[in-house]
Amino acid sequence: MKQQGIWPYLLLVAGLIGLQFSGSNYLTNLANFVAIQALPAIGLSLLMGYTGQISLGHAAFYGLGAYGSVLLATLLGVNMWLAMVLAAVLVGIAAWALGWLVFRLEGHYLAMATLGFGIIVHVILVEMHDWTGGPNGMTGIEPMNLFGHEFYSDKQVFPIVWGACILGIFFAESLVRSPVGLLMRGVSENGRVVASLGASPDRMKRLVLMVSGIYAAVAGALYARYVGYLSPGPFDVGFSIKLLLMVAIGGFAQIWGVLFGVAFVALVSELLKPLGGYDIIVFGVLLVVAVVYCRDGLLQTLFAGVRGTLRLARKSVS
Amino acid sequence: MTAQTVPAPKRVIDIEAVTMAFGGLTALRDVSFSIFENETVSLIGPNGAGKTTLLNVIAGNLRPSSGRVVLRGEPIQGLPPNEINARGIGRTFQSVEIFATLTVLENAMAGGVAATAIGLAPSFLPWGKARRVQNDLARRAREMLDFVGLSAAADMPGGTLPTGQQRLLGIARVMMSGARVLLLDEPGAGLNETEKSALINVISRLSDKGYTIIVVEHDMALVAQVSDRIVVLDQGRLIADGLPDAVKHDPVVIQAYLGRSHDHGVARLRTQVARSEKLLEIDRLSIRYGGVTALDNANVHVNKGEIVALVGPNGAGKSSLVKAVAGFVKPATGTIRYDGADLRALRSPDAVTRKGVSLVPEGRALFPSLTITDNLALGYYTERFRNWGLRGLIAPGLNRNDAFEERKEIAFRLFPILKERQQQQAGMLSGGQAQMLAIARSLMSNPRLLLLDEPSLGLAPKVIDEILHKLLELRAGGLSILLIEQNAQAALQIADRAYVLSTGRIVADGAADSILADPNIASAYLGWDENKPQAETLRSAVS
Repeated sequence: MKQQGIWPYLLLVAGLIGLQFSGSNYLTNLANFVAIQALPAIGLSLLMGYTGQISLGHAAFYGLGAYGSVLLATLLGVNMWLAMVLAAVLVGIAAWALGWLVFRLEGHYLAMATLGFGIIVHVILVEMHDWTGGPNGMTGIEPMNLFGHEFYSDKQVFPIVWGACILGIFFAESLVRSPVGLLMRGVSENGRVVASLGASPDRMKRLVLMVSGIYAAVAGALYARYVGYLSPGPFDVGFSIKLLLMVAIGGFAQIWGVLFGVAFVALVSELLKPLGGYDIIVFGVLLVVAVVYCRDGLLQTLFAGVRGTLRLARKSVS
Repeated sequence: MTAQTVPAPKRVIDIEAVTMAFGGLTALRDVSFSIFENETVSLIGPNGAGKTTLLNVIAGNLRPSSGRVVLRGEPIQGLPPNEINARGIGRTFQSVEIFATLTVLENAMAGGVAATAIGLAPSFLPWGKARRVQNDLARRAREMLDFVGLSAAADMPGGTLPTGQQRLLGIARVMMSGARVLLLDEPGAGLNETEKSALINVISRLSDKGYTIIVVEHDMALVAQVSDRIVVLDQGRLIADGLPDAVKHDPVVIQAYLGRSHDHGVARLRTQVARSEKLLEIDRLSIRYGGVTALDNANVHVNKGEIVALVGPNGAGKSSLVKAVAGFVKPATGTIRYDGADLRALRSPDAVTRKGVSLVPEGRALFPSLTITDNLALGYYTERFRNWGLRGLIAPGLNRNDAFEERKEIAFRLFPILKERQQQQAGMLSGGQAQMLAIARSLMSNPRLLLLDEPSLGLAPKVIDEILHKLLELRAGGLSILLIEQNAQAALQIADRAYVLSTGRIVADGAADSILADPNIASAYLGWDENKPQAETLRSAVS
């Protein structure tokens, strides 16, 4: 059980500062979305990679966090930050409760149930016009502000979303290295054994789903304030699958790998813009390839490949 | 190890009239006994006796149909496994179940996490409570690894340990949970002699430390060395409970292991003389699972029109041998020739079936939601394919169905009860009827060699009798049969020849009658001798 190293954090921060110096708004905007999407992806990695439970409905938590934080702020008239926390707590409770229902199931059935949950939430976002604005969505969402200072532009939002992302990574890394993390990994291998050691595997799964839901909800809330406009589109099942792809490319049980996965998918998405709606086909193929050929994630597989080639090259030289 | 010298030993667990029924099958019937403080009790009995079921009932994996499990005066039956562990009863698993991706140390640590009751919240920070708990767990885990002798392997991934060490790690892990009563499910299975002595050593030292231990085990040498007391189950009933010496010589126990001794009245039916033409020839066959050798250099053959029995205790390698013939297991070395053809060269089990070798698997393996007729139809596919190729499968014409009806009638003539119930779901059948259907289904493919894996498992003597009679009828019809049985007494009465297997080796073979009469067979099964298991002596005599 190694302690987490400080180097990845320093490298990340250095990279982010470098990116700020480049002065490109486009890159900053892209980086902001990477930070926001990394949170639900890391949450999903805790659930899928470390605890071994699939979810195909994670976009729902993301959407509930986004819509919930905005609605709570307007309905209750509370401060937007408080509304964010409230929304995250409510989504956490909802995720925990969902766990009661779905963790009676395993494997394909669990995938189906979570998929169903994702679809139900999406339908609600579309159909409850009075609350969500239906397919037209909600416009004019106030940007983030703190002590009278507004965070509106890409550059202003940048430190906030990346701060949240780095905190998310830090908490997740601590969790998976903690004693509870051992039980999570135990559950992913064999829940029966975990039960025989005095811990309830179902309770573990519910707790991790709750944490995972909170990660997604916080990201959703940040997304709403950053973009200033919400429609059901980004919270459909397609996004759940995309999260799955990010986690798969990252190597499932590797927090930093997942961050790479998110960045990779974001870049590929940019490249695929000309394809329009057909990009989903490429993502589907990528997911299959990642799961079949890159069990430890794209990065690790590439490294292993490079190492293998180098060894071959060295052998042929000598 | 410690004998009961304390005047009034404290009862730890009382099993009170526990009955466990699964549908029609009763795995435990009215079992009652007590376990005392710091006692090592072995739970033994032939395959299907209900030992693991009882362990599962105590550990909370199963809720008994009736009866109570009482821990220090408090009923605990039906509580979930984690609650049972929290109350101080820990268990290990037959199949070890080490967390393969965790290191050995982490495996041990994982065992202690629940008992620390560390919440989720402190786990998000690497400092503070999580750190303290972590360090404490690591320190205690190292002590436990030291205790079982695994310190050197602490940083290896759990999955890379050999089976023997995984078993010890399983014990260290459950000790970490704080349990003082340990249920060990077949800790000796698949271990070599060195590993076994390490295990015996650990169990005795656990007892010295005051642990109360229940061991389910097939290895009688191990049982003899660790037990203060032995409880024997047979077909779900408790048949003996006493000191090792008394149980060893208890005729009821010996009979339970060798099978019912009453004459099945079938021996006289063996009138036909088998030809000496070899149909199946197995030469120096070895089978390994990972590091465990299940079968070691076995030579077995079956002549045309012969019933050959393969007998031996659980874990002897009988099923592995038959699975290798049927193509389900890839042998490590050796050859399997059937009717001149090399079966090992075939790619899949269905190709073996097409050659005319049909397996009746252990536990019947019926399709429970399908009717009897549909089960038979599935058994017929091979024959359909053989006769009409792919067309027979996708476009079954009328005349082809006539052929099916004909074969079905043959099966029904053999087992009339199936005809009465042909539209019922297979899952509704009793154990004996299910076994008949399994045999009938295998016959549908028109085999020349029938492999039967433990057909008598869980059946009453009268039903066993009936089914064995049917095998003789089949033999009279020219079928060759390789029969695997733990119930040696029953199998040897209908077989022409027999092989006795013990821990992966053939320790005796010959005419069934002479094996039946051999007094050594009991030793091969039970192997009580503490220093030198009987199987060993027989083995060295053969090799």
